[in-house]
Amino acid sequence: MTPTALDGAPQRTTGQRALRLLRDPVVLAALIAILLVVVGGVLKPGFAAPDQIVNMLRVASFLGIIAIGQTIVVLSGGEGIDLSVGVTATLGAILASRTMNGSDALLVPGVLLAIGVAALIGLANGLGIVLLRIPPFVMTLGMLGVVSGLVLVVTGGVADGRAAPALVQLVNGRDVLGIPGILLVWAVLAVLVTLMLRRTSFGAQLYAVGSSREAARLSGVPVGRTVVSAYVLSSVFAALGGIAMVGYSQQVFLSLADDLTLPSIAAVIIGGTLVSGGVGGYLGSAIGAIVLTVLTSLLTTLNMPEWARIVVQGVVLIALLAVYGRQRRLRA
Amino acid sequence: MTETSPLVRLSGVRKRYGGVRALQGASLTAASGEVHGLLGPNGSGKSTLGKVLAGSVRPDAATIEIDGEPVRIGSPRAAARLGIAAVYQQLSLIPDLSVEDNLVLGQEPGRAGFLSRREARRRARPVLERLAPALGEVHAEQPVRELAPGQQQLIEIGKALLRQPRILLLDEATASLHRDQVAVVFEITRELRDAGACILFVSHRLDEITDLCDRATILRSGETVAATAVAGIEPDEIVRLMVGDVQAVERDHGARPTGPVRLAVRGLVGGALRGVDLEARAGEIVGLGGLQGQGQSELLLALFGATSSTGEVAIDGDPVRLASPRSAAARGIALVPGDRGSQGTLPPRPIQENLTITSLRARSRAGLLSGARERAAAQSMVEALAIKIGELGDPVSSLSGGNAQKVVFGKWLLTEPVVVLLDDPTKGVDVGAKAEIYRIIRRLADAGATVIINSSEDRELVTVCDRVLVMFEGAIHAELVGDEITEERLVQAALRIGEGAQRRSGAEEAA
Repeated sequence: MTPTALDGAPQRTTGQRALRLLRDPVVLAALIAILLVVVGGVLKPGFAAPDQIVNMLRVASFLGIIAIGQTIVVLSGGEGIDLSVGVTATLGAILASRTMNGSDALLVPGVLLAIGVAALIGLANGLGIVLLRIPPFVMTLGMLGVVSGLVLVVTGGVADGRAAPALVQLVNGRDVLGIPGILLVWAVLAVLVTLMLRRTSFGAQLYAVGSSREAARLSGVPVGRTVVSAYVLSSVFAALGGIAMVGYSQQVFLSLADDLTLPSIAAVIIGGTLVSGGVGGYLGSAIGAIVLTVLTSLLTTLNMPEWARIVVQGVVLIALLAVYGRQRRLRA
Repeated sequence: MTETSPLVRLSGVRKRYGGVRALQGASLTAASGEVHGLLGPNGSGKSTLGKVLAGSVRPDAATIEIDGEPVRIGSPRAAARLGIAAVYQQLSLIPDLSVEDNLVLGQEPGRAGFLSRREARRRARPVLERLAPALGEVHAEQPVRELAPGQQQLIEIGKALLRQPRILLLDEATASLHRDQVAVVFEITRELRDAGACILFVSHRLDEITDLCDRATILRSGETVAATAVAGIEPDEIVRLMVGDVQAVERDHGARPTGPVRLAVRGLVGGALRGVDLEARAGEIVGLGGLQGQGQSELLLALFGATSSTGEVAIDGDPVRLASPRSAAARGIALVPGDRGSQGTLPPRPIQENLTITSLRARSRAGLLSGARERAAAQSMVEALAIKIGELGDPVSSLSGGNAQKVVFGKWLLTEPVVVLLDDPTKGVDVGAKAEIYRIIRRLADAGATVIINSSEDRELVTVCDRVLVMFEGAIHAELVGDEITEERLVQAALRIGEGAQRRSGAEEAA
């Protein structure tokens, strides 16, 4: 029971608590991440070296930040899904890097522009879903197309612009006690998002809307406003993830973050958030992002061809879903 | 005349839903060439009994004989093979398919999996022609969604007729029809009967039963209490059979509330509501009686702004625009909805969140919630309502029906409502929890709230209400006050027998 682990005042025996903990998808996902690192370390010496782990976490942070928004959208229920996060991240990265173009002074304006445009994309998604009653899958799939087109319009087919040095330093440097600043940013975002979910009216209403639209409506919850906000947040966090990626690659390219859409959904699912909405949290998604990154990197280290990597990732996802499904029945 | 062996014989039919016994040894015997009515007050099990025969409800125990042969009816398909067809008020049509496709649905003519449109048309035509006087302008190719509700109901009946059933169950199948449409259906029903079929007829309109039925089986609390010829029976006798010799229910209320008028409704129209007027005082518990499905739930939803309606509503003299549940809640209206699982609770969420969701704004500071304050608010309700829980963090779906319902009460009590709307609040709740919920309701009223309660159990209305408004087909047509509220009077009023009905209509003329 992910969402309650924080607030509950458990009065159960240690044995029961341990068992309950093991059934928690977040704990399970974390164990898988650790297991993957250990297996990697055994198969390829150096895989589990601290430097390598920091590197993997750095790469995981982009996916992790994008997965914040995806988590919120999936929690909002009503078959909530955002297929446009990848291209929105790309567009955000392009807008930001063109604006800053290698200058620290323009870093903040660049980020704000990217966030502003992303918020509009999310608003369009949300309004289409709430007012026009377009299914989220279809609405965000359409938006994927629209934003891809926008990327071409903005760039004229050639991506230019460079990341500000400060951004590069944030992602690639190791300024904070030997770890990259972006990991600190990610950690702070994770704490803030978790607080937002658990300790704000918006969070409570999001969970309510996700578990039952009808019951939420009949409890006086502003269902439409909550759902629209979820999609706006999704696009905004996608843009932030995209900007972090530019810091890593330093140069922007036309399909920078496009491939992160499906992994962001996978991270949410691995993290134990119910696909039907209303149950879950961000911590699981963050660990899910780490699991996926470590898995990819392990399979790459083992020289597995790309097609095989994709197959393995797919199988892992299906296997985890099957396990979670069983547990839910056991817990019910 | 020789005694024919009965076409249908059901006996010892038992069915439980959780803790609720819907049928406890009900029986039914009906012959071919007979229209047989099923009568009983709300919750007596008449619909369940019909559904057992139609294969859509699996009984816990039953002996079913058709033509003297014992049979098992495990599914609607099995029922269809035995020549049983059923029509309910709930439609089973597919809106996007044409009239003709809907008529042959489930028995599409064709060969090797390919449909024969011509054959379908050939079969559908006579049924459509027979229904034509009631249907009016309807084309076989027209999608069903374009038809009026009454026309759709007739197509549903046509679908059953197409199967040329030996046994036809009509369960409130005439509820959405006009008088002249009903006449056509009756005509067809009599033709079927004369051709040797057996028709089982469930209706809330007593005059339809006396008009159409040859015999009737009367149910009470899931048991068959009588089977009788309909001709010559007095309405009062039917009521007496339906209600039985009830001991007086202990009525739980004090003096007639004399507070100011809190809730005033005039000419409320929309959906199933056809013009509802009512006034209720502060501290008063007003029941909505009548047979189920006469607009009681719709009235409560409309008052809560959950369905669109037009009409004047005022609280404490101030006009209220019922735009949404959110605005209704902001005006101090609360609704305990009829379906606890899908409308009342957020099943996977913790008990605490289920309790606090309606009143977040009162405790939040700039949108931020304090964990301690939220927990304290939830805990106060758990204690005040004696809700039996494990931990506040457990999902609300882990609670029993009665305790889950107390959570729904609790979340509204935290908003300190002035008008409390209750839609069948003790459905699926055990006896002990029921009594506690009655106490909560009374306490609410004593604290000055106006309570409007709909119940599927007449006994419940007798127990808790100061006044009962009996609804019939979307309007209030009788009013019972104080000691007038008895189960017998409620059933009479629901079936529009006797003086209950005249009282209100007289009052309306005077007004």
